[in-house]
Amino acid sequence: MNAPIIDPLQGDFPEVIEEYLEHGVIKCVAFNHRGSLLAAGCADGGCVIFDFETRGIAKEIRDIDCSAAITSVSWSKYGHRLLVSAADKSLTLWDVSTGEKIARTILQQTPLQARLNPGLTSPSLCLACPLSSAPMIVDFDIDCTTLLPVAVPEMPDVLAPPQRSKCPESNPPFSPAAACFNKCGDLVYIGNSKGEILVIDYKSVRVLALVPVSGAAPVKNIVFSRNGQYLLTNSHDRTIRIYENLLPAKNVLKSLEDLGKNIDGIDDGVEKLKTVGSKCLTLFREFQDSVTKMHWKAPCFSGDGEWVVGGSACKGEHKIYIWDRAGHLVKILEGPKEALIDLAWHPVHPIIVSVSLAGLVYIWAKDYTENWSAFAPDFKELEENEEYVEREDEFDLIPETEKVKVLDVNEDEEVDIETVEKDAFSDSDTSVEELRYLPAEPIPDTNDQQDNLVESIKLVEGQISASPASEEAVQNGHGADHVLSPQGEELGDTRGKRKRKPSEKAMELQAEKAKPSKGSGRTVRAKSRAGIDQEIDDSVNDADDDDDDASYY
Amino acid sequence: MAEEVPATTTTASFTPYVHSQTLTTHERAVSSIKFSSDGRFLASASADKTLRTYTINTDGDPIAEPGREFAGHEYGISDVAFSSDARFIASASDDKTLKLWDVETGSLIKTLIGHTNYAFCVNFNPQSNMIVSGSFDETVRIWDVTTGKCLKVLPAHSDPVTAVDFNRDGSLIVSSSYDGLCRIWDAGTGHCIKTLIDDENPPVSYVRFSPNGKFILVGTLDNTLRLWNISSAKFLKTYTCHVNSQYCVSSAFSVTNGKRIVSGSEDNCVYMWELNSRKLLQKLEGHTEPVMTVACHPTENLIASGSLDKSVKIWTQKKE
Repeated sequence: MNAPIIDPLQGDFPEVIEEYLEHGVIKCVAFNHRGSLLAAGCADGGCVIFDFETRGIAKEIRDIDCSAAITSVSWSKYGHRLLVSAADKSLTLWDVSTGEKIARTILQQTPLQARLNPGLTSPSLCLACPLSSAPMIVDFDIDCTTLLPVAVPEMPDVLAPPQRSKCPESNPPFSPAAACFNKCGDLVYIGNSKGEILVIDYKSVRVLALVPVSGAAPVKNIVFSRNGQYLLTNSHDRTIRIYENLLPAKNVLKSLEDLGKNIDGIDDGVEKLKTVGSKCLTLFREFQDSVTKMHWKAPCFSGDGEWVVGGSACKGEHKIYIWDRAGHLVKILEGPKEALIDLAWHPVHPIIVSVSLAGLVYIWAKDYTENWSAFAPDFKELEENEEYVEREDEFDLIPETEKVKVLDVNEDEEVDIETVEKDAFSDSDTSVEELRYLPAEPIPDTNDQQDNLVESIKLVEGQISASPASEEAVQNGHGADHVLSPQGEELGDTRGKRKRKPSEKAMELQAEKAKPSKGSGRTVRAKSRAGIDQEIDDSVNDADDDDDDASYY
Repeated sequence: MAEEVPATTTTASFTPYVHSQTLTTHERAVSSIKFSSDGRFLASASADKTLRTYTINTDGDPIAEPGREFAGHEYGISDVAFSSDARFIASASDDKTLKLWDVETGSLIKTLIGHTNYAFCVNFNPQSNMIVSGSFDETVRIWDVTTGKCLKVLPAHSDPVTAVDFNRDGSLIVSSSYDGLCRIWDAGTGHCIKTLIDDENPPVSYVRFSPNGKFILVGTLDNTLRLWNISSAKFLKTYTCHVNSQYCVSSAFSVTNGKRIVSGSEDNCVYMWELNSRKLLQKLEGHTEPVMTVACHPTENLIASGSLDKSVKIWTQKKE
């Protein structure tokens, strides 16, 4: 791949706003697995997918029934499906390539965040975190929701009874718990309001481990890094904590079971869970802004897990903090004075995307300084002045060093032009076709523009021959020109068409006022033109004069 | 009609290509010829201001059936390119525009305006959401297929840009020019990553990426073809014996039956070398004027060539 020749500082972080995307009022964003597409949920209930390379709109997904603001968007691992949660308590699963709705369900409460299971190819299982109830697993296939436990009961009985959709009255109200899947999607990690991280097997609805977060403040966000090695929690005590995931990548459930079994002598439920928990996660670092003590919003990892980014939750300011994993604050990005509501780091490139309260998506990228040595390979960029020492024979007429020119290339070596190296995304199972791009549908030039171009060419030629027949030939052109058939059209029809055309052309002219003025008016017959526009204008003028259709102007 | 004359002793396993079909659909010289990536279509661009597509039936006789004609350019066309799904073709013309056409219906979809001199070369990226074009105005432009907007203008060279190509994942662009340089650009940001230049810098008439994107095949106007390794910036193989000192003759990799390099030549023949040994395997004769462009079918042992003699010839491997 291009990895060897691209600047090895790929893992660097962005510095300036490169551009912004706008499409209505955007509320939340999510990159697909490779960062080639960006899904954005809007306040009017629609979801738009941007082609991130061209920064244009690739697709719009809209549910006619739903007009409530989107609260979160989530891609499936291979990019075929998109899960959209909206303020009208609904969760909708869309098929990306066709733009069709796969499933829809209404929950009891508005889900603030919904995530598709990252382990499945075509997931219909998702995790939803509503505003004021426990996170739940929603299965679209069997259309059932399962509430997950957010607390370990103090009794020895570890198994929390699985609950059906209704929120039981006995639970005291609590602030929203945050939850996320682990990398392969077998476990759910929940950060609850007591400042604990619970590791839950959602299939059997059992708490398998418990990790207390120091400070015991309610956990607002919990996010895994892309490679599943690090876990980040954002707590109400204004601290972001990084945990290292000690569990193996595969067969996590089995390892946890084994861990549970191996601990002898501890019968107490909670203690046992804590011991297991200590084998799952260890605290790595803590980040906070000791000066301003601000709350953080939408923290996440960079694509390679090297950097941690968090947005400031203060109103009226758009600040993004970037730390390296060792804990040092490396950069504070300041944007326009609009509050930040969502943040995402591109999976591959050092690009950050932030959503402001005004509904604009700002794209932050590295401030690039031209690498001059790329333009001239023998050009060496120096950091500071260096004393230049000449070679002994530098100014000789025939320098020694140039006499012997050995072609040190072994031309007989085998060259392999076909094998492709496995690229960095080897965590994806290559047996599954990934949806990386949506096919580009070129928007056709409007018929006016096309006809103008075509007609202008033909009108020019028509005038030269000055015969009505060839002018009719003009009317053949609606873009689909195959063979010019001069005698093809009816005189009456073409006259009719011709009368209509100029008015459209007039509008075109209005639209094209910005174009350079056609100074040399009537020299239509001279074919050597700089711009097609001038030909349109001139030929139009001529045509109308001929036709006495000056009224159209 | 045409005889193939192996210039050197051929290896036992080499089956010579024979002439199979001549298409004379164009009224003036053929400037560029391309197969679609699924091998179903062939497109040819000509100085007669039109493009033509042909349906390829690899088992049929004739192999290529003329399909549609695409007219609309004001001046001759220098290059044509298929999108990956073969739904669209793009053409670069001396009228300074690029046009995007629908292959099925033959209709013009978009005109990309922006170059200030002849548009000379064009290519789609593998995702087919972007088009790259090189021009005599010394710039390389990247266009968005959906909107037709010019996304980036790269100040690529100091002489006309003769060829542009994307690598297999669309992340890099290579451009070549009469100024003797080949430059590699990052397709996403438009920044120059590398410049490949040898000690002497003869005008570079053609460049393209190898199938795996690690090497580039460079044709220069000193009758030489070279295979460069991009990361080491050194050339690894040299192919000679053909004639290329005036025109921008294109060349191609043939991977369907052994790794080969195929190139057009100004001595009216199509040359074929073995990639690793650099041995000249075959000279396909039949054209009566310089062969400007060659293309290799992606899956079958089929070569198409276009020449100044207005014809397109199809060559296949002799059936045993």
